Amino acid sequence: MPDGPQESAGSIAASLFQNELETITAAIESYGKKPHQNIAIIADPFAGQQLVIEEIKRRYPDTISYLPFFSVVTGKDFIPNLYTAKDVVVMERCHFLALRKIGGFVMLDEFLDFISSSEKLFITTWNSYSWSYLNAVRQIEGFFPEIIHLPKMDSKTLKDLILVKYEGAKIEFVDDRVIEEKKGIEVLERKITLPIVNRVVSIPWITYSPSVSKLEGIEVKDAVFDRINSIADGNYGVAQRVWERSLDYPEMKMSNIPVTPCAVDLTINEAFLLTIILSMESIQLVDLAEIAGPEINIDQNLYRLIQHGLVEEEKGYFHIKPEALKCVGNYLTRIRMVW
Amino acid sequence: MANGIQPDLTNLSIREIDVGTILYIGAVLVIAYLAARMLSWVLMRLSERAGVYRISVTMAIPLLKIAIYTTALYLFVTAIIEPSLSQLTVFAGFFGAALGFGLKDVFADIIGGLVITFERPYQIGDKIAIKEHYGEVIDIGLRSTRIRTPFDSVVTIPNFIIFDQSVSSANAGKTEMMVVIDLFIDPESNAELAMDILKDAVVTSKYVYITEHRPYTILLDDFPFYKRVRAKAYVNDLRYEFEFLSEVTRRAWMAYAREGIRPPQVQRILPETAGQTARISESPARKGINERRSVESQEE
Repeated sequence: MPDGPQESAGSIAASLFQNELETITAAIESYGKKPHQNIAIIADPFAGQQLVIEEIKRRYPDTISYLPFFSVVTGKDFIPNLYTAKDVVVMERCHFLALRKIGGFVMLDEFLDFISSSEKLFITTWNSYSWSYLNAVRQIEGFFPEIIHLPKMDSKTLKDLILVKYEGAKIEFVDDRVIEEKKGIEVLERKITLPIVNRVVSIPWITYSPSVSKLEGIEVKDAVFDRINSIADGNYGVAQRVWERSLDYPEMKMSNIPVTPCAVDLTINEAFLLTIILSMESIQLVDLAEIAGPEINIDQNLYRLIQHGLVEEEKGYFHIKPEALKCVGNYLTRIRMVW
Repeated sequence: MANGIQPDLTNLSIREIDVGTILYIGAVLVIAYLAARMLSWVLMRLSERAGVYRISVTMAIPLLKIAIYTTALYLFVTAIIEPSLSQLTVFAGFFGAALGFGLKDVFADIIGGLVITFERPYQIGDKIAIKEHYGEVIDIGLRSTRIRTPFDSVVTIPNFIIFDQSVSSANAGKTEMMVVIDLFIDPESNAELAMDILKDAVVTSKYVYITEHRPYTILLDDFPFYKRVRAKAYVNDLRYEFEFLSEVTRRAWMAYAREGIRPPQVQRILPETAGQTARISESPARKGINERRSVESQEE
């Protein structure tokens, strides 16, 4: 790895989420001057919500109280902290307030009760899948008038953000794909901006490569990031992880980027556990077992999810394997386990 | 008018029917049958991989079958005669009349099949209740519709039945469908808590599907000797209808037991109402199951 200049999390966030940070900054700056509106920052796992929070903390170290959650909230201990907190409260990973089980919404209800009667400004982050679920069952959207969805990146933005860390270092991009891999149809994604409504939407972009000639120079670099983005689906954290795992410094070979075919076919119990892991982002076995109840054999189902390459364990916490995030999200949406 | 038609009919040229013609007709029929079967099979396989679009894919099956069989019929007719357009029209009329007199039930079934295909009161994959039968539609043929009941029996229902029977489709072409779950509790138990628990049991189920247009409802009804807590919610895939019902009921009753919420006490219930406590749902499915159980117990 090069010793080149490392961009701080804050400056990456400032480049990635300029508009979103402007909205949050305006809300903090105007606090006390006009009626405040609580903010919900919603993003897929690994999509960079912590970068946004780090940047807010950096900009307003004396103005905010930072109250993150690291695992499922089981007690009301956090409520007294809300009383003593400063006027602007930044709460990270609020999806840990709810557990998908009977009686699992008590903490969330306590929190919503609190913010309903509070004069403080709450800036909260939520997992996008949890948000959709909680919004369907508890209509939490009504408590957060300002909703910010962190946008997806295109290949070019990802390339610029990842390569900025390697300024001054020479990375050689190598097209070493086998001939069969280069031929045929490839479905990529392109982002287009809709006129009038000014909305960015993703459209499938089908490419056909009959040629077997090797890509050279800048073409290889673009192809590498197109390939990374086809896995990351515009998710900065996933792209970063795929990049780091594929880079064999100073060489970046196209063949190192994993091609993970998305052919998932799970039982209902496996799909349910996968939904929980996706929605909670990272969850301990004990919490998973509590949600699953006695009818789901946790060990067996988790083993199969790990074998499928969809889930991995890290220090006792289970989370979706970043490379499989797009595949998992699409599959669970298709079978309507997530809405 | 008759004078206009007469010359055409007398000039109707019938081809010579030899072994080749018979083989040709046989081949047409066999190919049509195989093509219809193969297309059905392929589309059913595709539909299973289509997730929420499963029923949209299967919708094409009856249409394709009609197209195939109509083509086969045309080839069959033109293999025997060489009609002009007006002759073909007259022939079709006579053929229809002959069918109408001789095979009027079969003909009514075919018309029923056409009506089902184009008007779509139900589609392949739907859960329907028709007469005393309830189940998932697994095939819509030209003559009959086949449904698979919750007991895995395949019931063949003639298509003409849609002309004089009402058909109830629980999902109307969608993958999700509403399931009604009733729990009966003792009138002295905490009904508000029972409603909260049932609500949580529904919204945390692995089978539930909730959106703005597919909301859930929890209702309470008071009866002389018990209270009924009712949940109305959508199951994410109609194939999990009974699993959804069972899972929510089981989990809710486990929580009820923890909270001291009891089922209706038998001694409170008058003999003539006792049977109602066993009734969990009033859905057509439940009705069908109860009726079947009743028949089975009578047979025993």
